[in-house]
Amino acid sequence: MPDRQKELFELLDKSGANLYALLTRLTLREDIAEELMQELFIKLINSRSFDKAGNPEAYARRAAINLAFDWRRSRKRNPLRLDQIREPASNDSSPLAKLVRAEEMDEILNAIGQLKKVPREAFVMRYVQQESYDYIAEQLGKTSHHVRALCSRALNRLRNLLGSNQHKSSGKET
Amino acid sequence: MSKIDENNIDHRLKALSQIEPSSKATNRAIQRARETLINENKSRQGTNTRIWRSIFKSPITKFAAAAVLLIAAGYATGRLSAPEPMDVEELKTALETSLKSSLEPAIRQDLIVQLNEQWQSAFAVSSARLKEDLQQQVRRDLTEFAAQTLAASGTLTNQRLIELIRLIEAARIRERQQVAAALEQIEQDKIRLEKGLVTLAAQTNELLGTKQ
Repeated sequence: MPDRQKELFELLDKSGANLYALLTRLTLREDIAEELMQELFIKLINSRSFDKAGNPEAYARRAAINLAFDWRRSRKRNPLRLDQIREPASNDSSPLAKLVRAEEMDEILNAIGQLKKVPREAFVMRYVQQESYDYIAEQLGKTSHHVRALCSRALNRLRNLLGSNQHKSSGKET
Repeated sequence: MSKIDENNIDHRLKALSQIEPSSKATNRAIQRARETLINENKSRQGTNTRIWRSIFKSPITKFAAAAVLLIAAGYATGRLSAPEPMDVEELKTALETSLKSSLEPAIRQDLIVQLNEQWQSAFAVSSARLKEDLQQQVRRDLTEFAAQTLAASGTLTNQRLIELIRLIEAARIRERQQVAAALEQIEQDKIRLEKGLVTLAAQTNELLGTKQ
């Protein structure tokens, strides 16, 4: 266990800020991202498959993405009370612009949440984290060409989800 | 979902990727995760230590340990006081048998009892906690449900209404300022008109006087 703890401390020092930024982008809330960050490391210290993971950083990122989208789904089921609503994380200054921006981003994140896990991870790394295709391929253990195809299909799926009133998809695709 | 064009999707994704949490929040989150790791490790170590401590607290274990010490002391005394060297192998076997017969069942029994007690207490605690959590959750959900139905759905509308009220208020203030400026202008025009009329009356009088 001390080895695991040491490894997790190293991971926290190396990728903690990136993981927190990723969680903030996916939840649009700094307070929720902080909660999820804590939950993530509890999961990692108790996870049996963490030791078997070849790339701890990729494992942690995948777990973080899953946690964030699980939170988004649970939030849909249990809408927030008035007193639970905090200022959304955004770079705009006006309150109205912030609200509009947060609503737009919520819409796009909910659509990303409907993608399957692997394309979703590749899509988030490419479009939310702005990583290169080569880096994503290395992290996911796939070829760069495969990652490009995954991202392209995911983007098309996203356009379908967001671009039509008639086409309301109930299940997962791509 | 609303209808969004492709540029808008790209724009939103770009905006999403540009969100950066504050460094203060990042440091706080990292520090909190670090503390969580430390606490989680401590709690695991604590559990192991508790088990061993509880085993050595037991009188049976104490008795077994005392028996081992006595046997060892007896062996040492016998060896020192013996007139001729004894059969070491025989002694070793006798000691092993004696130790096994006296210690092993006692420790095993004690370990089973301790673990059993611990599991039972842990199970009772966790089941009570679960029950309590479940009750609290159900109660919370029921009480929140009514409030959430109205409050959550109207939140955005409320905030936008507040924004709208602010805008209307600002427009009303501007309008009042314009009306005040217009009234002032009218007042100045009136004063000028009065002066003009006075001048006209004076000139008319003068003209009439000249004619007469």
